Amino acid sequence: MGKKKNKMREKRPIAVTVIAIVIVVLFFVRIYQSIKPLVEEAVLRNIYTASIFMDGVLTPHGQAVLKSLLYLILAIGLIIVLLGFLKMRRWSWVFLMAWVGFSMVVGLEDYFFFSEPNYVIMVSDVIIAFALSQSDVQRIFGIRSDTGENIL
Amino acid sequence: MKTSSDRPSISSKSTDLDLLRRFEPLVKYTKGEQFFPFDVERYVTECSLWAHYPDGREELLVRQEEMTIENLVTQRPATFGTIHFLRFIETLSLSESAQALAEQSRLRRKLHNQFNVGMGRLARGGFLPRVADALFSLSLLMRGKVSPATAAAAELAYEKMHQENEKYTYYGRVVHQNGWTVLQYWYFFCYNSWRSGFHGVNDHESDWEMVTLYLYENEGYLFPEWAAFASHDFHGDDLRRRWDDREQLDLVNGHPVVYAGAGSHASYFRQGEYQAEVFLPQPGWLGGLSRAWNKFWTQTLAQPESNPFRIPFVDFARGDGLGIGEGESKIWSPVLIDEETPWASLYHGLWGLFARDPVSGENAPAGPIYNRDGSPRSSWYDPLGFAGLDKTPPPPLALKLLEENCNEIRSRQDELITLIPQKANELQVLGMKLKGLEDHPHLAKIYALLQKRINTVGEELRNLRRERMENGALLQGMTQRLEQVRSGVADNPHAHIQKMAVPVEAVEMRYARAAETWAAISLSLLVFAIAGLVFFAPAYIWAGMAVILILFVVAESIMRGAFIQTISRVTLILALLTSVVLLIEFWKFILVALLIILGIFLMAQRLRELTH
Repeated sequence: MGKKKNKMREKRPIAVTVIAIVIVVLFFVRIYQSIKPLVEEAVLRNIYTASIFMDGVLTPHGQAVLKSLLYLILAIGLIIVLLGFLKMRRWSWVFLMAWVGFSMVVGLEDYFFFSEPNYVIMVSDVIIAFALSQSDVQRIFGIRSDTGENIL
Repeated sequence: MKTSSDRPSISSKSTDLDLLRRFEPLVKYTKGEQFFPFDVERYVTECSLWAHYPDGREELLVRQEEMTIENLVTQRPATFGTIHFLRFIETLSLSESAQALAEQSRLRRKLHNQFNVGMGRLARGGFLPRVADALFSLSLLMRGKVSPATAAAAELAYEKMHQENEKYTYYGRVVHQNGWTVLQYWYFFCYNSWRSGFHGVNDHESDWEMVTLYLYENEGYLFPEWAAFASHDFHGDDLRRRWDDREQLDLVNGHPVVYAGAGSHASYFRQGEYQAEVFLPQPGWLGGLSRAWNKFWTQTLAQPESNPFRIPFVDFARGDGLGIGEGESKIWSPVLIDEETPWASLYHGLWGLFARDPVSGENAPAGPIYNRDGSPRSSWYDPLGFAGLDKTPPPPLALKLLEENCNEIRSRQDELITLIPQKANELQVLGMKLKGLEDHPHLAKIYALLQKRINTVGEELRNLRRERMENGALLQGMTQRLEQVRSGVADNPHAHIQKMAVPVEAVEMRYARAAETWAAISLSLLVFAIAGLVFFAPAYIWAGMAVILILFVVAESIMRGAFIQTISRVTLILALLTSVVLLIEFWKFILVALLIILGIFLMAQRLRELTH
C-alpha cells in the first residue's frame, strides 16, 4: 500500500513529460543557433588567423563567437533546468517560467517592432508556459496546494 | 432551551428609554476621528435648505439664519425628481478654503488627534490595483465630489458646536415584531470624512449609522439574543452576531462594544483594520468583457481569481480613540424617536450636500426612515428582515413552535398509516374490476373510465407513500432538533454567517518600509519613465512601455513577496498573446493540420468498424 502510494506521488503528469521533450528540442535549437554563426563566418576555419577585436570593437568573427557563446550558455542552462525539472525541483519551475516569460517578451518585441521572430522558440515557449500553468504540474512542484489554492 | 441566566436582563414592563439605556452600545472610535454622534436639532440650525430641480437648477429655500427643525419639516410641494437637501458648509472662496485648511491643521495639532495611517492601503494592494486607484481618483474629478476644504470647514464647524455643548447623542427606537423586541440605536454625524481624513472611498456631509439589538421575553424579563451592526457590503444574516458569541461580540457589563470605522463610522464587531474593496466603475461592455475574461482565466486556464479593477480601501476600526458609553468617560444622551417624530418622518430630503455624484458616494444620506431616493429604509420598516431574523423565532417561542410542528407531523403520519392501506385496497379492487372488463369490446367506454380512475388513485397512493417517507425523515430531523433545544445545547453561533467581516492581517512585506515607499512613488515613476521614452526614444515607445510595465510589475512582486505568482500570471498572459500571434501568422498551417488530424481520426474510426 505504502509503495503504491509513493508510486502515485512520484508519477509525473503528462505535461511534465511534454515540457521535458520541448526543452530537449529547444536544446538542439540553441545548439544549432550556436553553431550557425561559427559556420557562416567560417570561424573554425580561420580560428588561428582571425582576430576577435579590432580597435577595441568586435570584428564580425568576434560577434559570431560571442553569439555562439551566448547560445551555448543558453543550451547548457536548458540542460541544468531539464535536470532540475525531471527531479521536480521547485526552483526549476520558477526559473523556467521566468525564462519563457522573458523569451516571449523578446519574441513579441521582435514580432511587433523589429525583425522576424524565431517562431520555433515562440511555439515552444507557449507550450511550456501552458504546461507549467497546469494545476497538477503546479501542485507537483509545490506551487499550489492539493486543494487547488495558490500557496505562493 | 437555552438558559437566560447568564444574560443581562430587564423587566419587560420597563419604559422604552430604560430598555435602550440598559443595552446601549459602547462605541469605540479610532484615534484621529474628527466627528462623533451629534444632535440633529443643533446641526440643522447650522444648515441652509436647498432644492435641486430636475433641470439642474438649485434654489435656496431657507437661509441658515432662519433654519430650525420646525422649518425643516414644513411640507414643500415640488415636481418629480426634485431633491431637497441641507447644506452644512456653504461654498467657500479660495481664501476661505485656504484658511479652513490651515485652521484644520492647527486644530488637529492642538487636540493631539492625529491619525497614524500605519501600513498604507496602497502598499496592501498590488501595482495594478494602484493604477485602478489612480483612475478612481481621476473619476472623482469628473463626478461630483465634496472638496477637502469643505471637509476642513465641517471639522471646524463641528468642533465649535461641540465645544459649546459637549454631548454625544443617539436616537433610540423600540419596536415589537414577531415576538422580538427590537432596539435600534441611530447615530448622526455632521460629516463622513473617510476619504479626506483616512484615505477612504468617499466624503459626504452628514452620516447616519445604526446598531440594532434583538431581545426576547421570558417570564416577564427581556434578554438580548442578537446584535446587528450596519456595515459596508454586508447584508441579512451576515450583519448579526449572537449575544453569547464571545469570539465575535465584546461586551462590557452587558453592553455590546462597537468598533467604528475612522471617518466612515461603519460598525464592526472586532477591532482592527478592514479591507473594503471598491470596484472601479466600468461601462457595461467592459464589465461583460471583464466577466468573460475572469471566466476564461479561472475556469479554462484554472488560474486563481484576480481582479485588477479592485481597489483596496482600508476601514480603520482600531478602537484606540474616544470611547462613548459604559465604562468610558463620555456618556450617551439618548433621544427617543419613532414614526411620529416630525424630523424623522416628514423630512424626506438629504441631510447634507447633494454633490451631484451619479454613483451617490459623495451625496449626503437621507434620514433614518428614508433612502436617498425617498423610499423607506428596510432597516426601519423591517428590522427583523434587515438582519435576516424574520425566519427565526425568539428562543422561548422556538421550542413551542417546534413541538407544535412535530405534533402536527406525527398526527399526519397516524392519518397516513390508516389512509395508505385504504387507498391500496381501493386500487386493488379497481384493478380486479378492470381485469374483468378485458376482452369485452362493448365495455370499452367503461374500461377507459376505469383505467382513468385507476391512474388517479395510483397517483394518489404514490403521493401518500412519498409524503409518509418524507414526513418520516422530516420528523427525524425535527425530533433531533427538539432534543437539542430541550437539552440547551447551543448551536454554532456562526452557522448563519455566509460572509464574515474579518480584520486584515498585517501584510507580510519583505521590505515593509521600502514597499510602502515604492507604493507611494511607483506610479509616478512609471509616468516619468514613459515621459523619458517619449522624449529620448520615441521610436521604441510601445516596446519600451511594455518592457517598463513588466519590469514594474515584477519589481512590485519582489517587494510584496509574490514573485512566483506574478511571474506565473505575466507569463501566461504573454503566452496567450503569443498564441494569437502564431494563430494569425500560421492559421493556414494550423487549419490544414487540424483537418488532417480530423481526417485521420475519422478514417481510423471507420476502418475499425470495418475490421471488427
